[in-house]
Amino acid sequence: MKQLPAASMHLVLALLDGELHGYALMRRVEELSDGSVRMGPGTLYGTINRLLADGLIVETTDAKDRADDDERRRYYELTPNGRAVAIAEATRLRNLVHRVAGHLPRIAPA
Amino acid sequence: MLSAYRALLYLYPREFRREFGDDMVALLREQRADEGTARVAGRLVLDLVTTVPSSHLEAHMSRASAPTLAVVLVALAVVFAVVGGPFGLVVAVAALAVATVTWRRSQPIVADASGGRWWKFLAGGVGLLVTLIVVTTITGELPEGGWFVAMTAMFTSFALIATGIVLGIASRFRTA
Repeated sequence: MKQLPAASMHLVLALLDGELHGYALMRRVEELSDGSVRMGPGTLYGTINRLLADGLIVETTDAKDRADDDERRRYYELTPNGRAVAIAEATRLRNLVHRVAGHLPRIAPA
Repeated sequence: MLSAYRALLYLYPREFRREFGDDMVALLREQRADEGTARVAGRLVLDLVTTVPSSHLEAHMSRASAPTLAVVLVALAVVFAVVGGPFGLVVAVAALAVATVTWRRSQPIVADASGGRWWKFLAGGVGLLVTLIVVTTITGELPEGGWFVAMTAMFTSFALIATGIVLGIASRFRTA
């Protein structure tokens, strides 16, 4: 599988739990990375644009009733292929961490 | 700050700005409300500096045109390798490297990617070359205009075969 760029990887992993709008997506990435990844508007929407073009995410704004959302926000969620890519990416990272942890005796146990 | 950012959005490609401009301003508004202007402003400058050039690059190198560009680059590589001497070989290697990167970039991202379509280029090139040999053998002496067509077809078949070989090797490394 072609490896995802870092920003794309963060976004697909952040969308694994379900659809999010732009700002919530940015905050979710921040939360998942323990505050180390903070995306600006250009990075976030540039990456969203790329993921839409690659068919890994889809806009779901009009797919559901948004009566509780007073702002006109656009929501995005993973496509089936996007979900498969996100899971493959998460598995790859887990395996990498598992292998590296074996070579670092002082690493703190999770 | 928001009106200044809205003006700075004109640095992005028009299509991108039309699609996401309002969302980007809304996101900045929420970010500023949560974190304060000073913290957001510093990150915003870095964000603009890094994303404006890349968005223009992506707008010009659409995914649809990338495979065509890859084939053209390989064709140029073959021509340089054949007629360019030592310097031509260097240019050919550089062109092949760019073609490989361009091709890889154009490929869709799928979880179960396996192998790619390199063999279609190889088969197409071999097919074209065999057809050319058969046609020239049957027709015998070619008219003056026919030579140009035959040479073009021959270089195209070499380019397709070379593309297939390069992509096949690249896919081997990718799946290893």
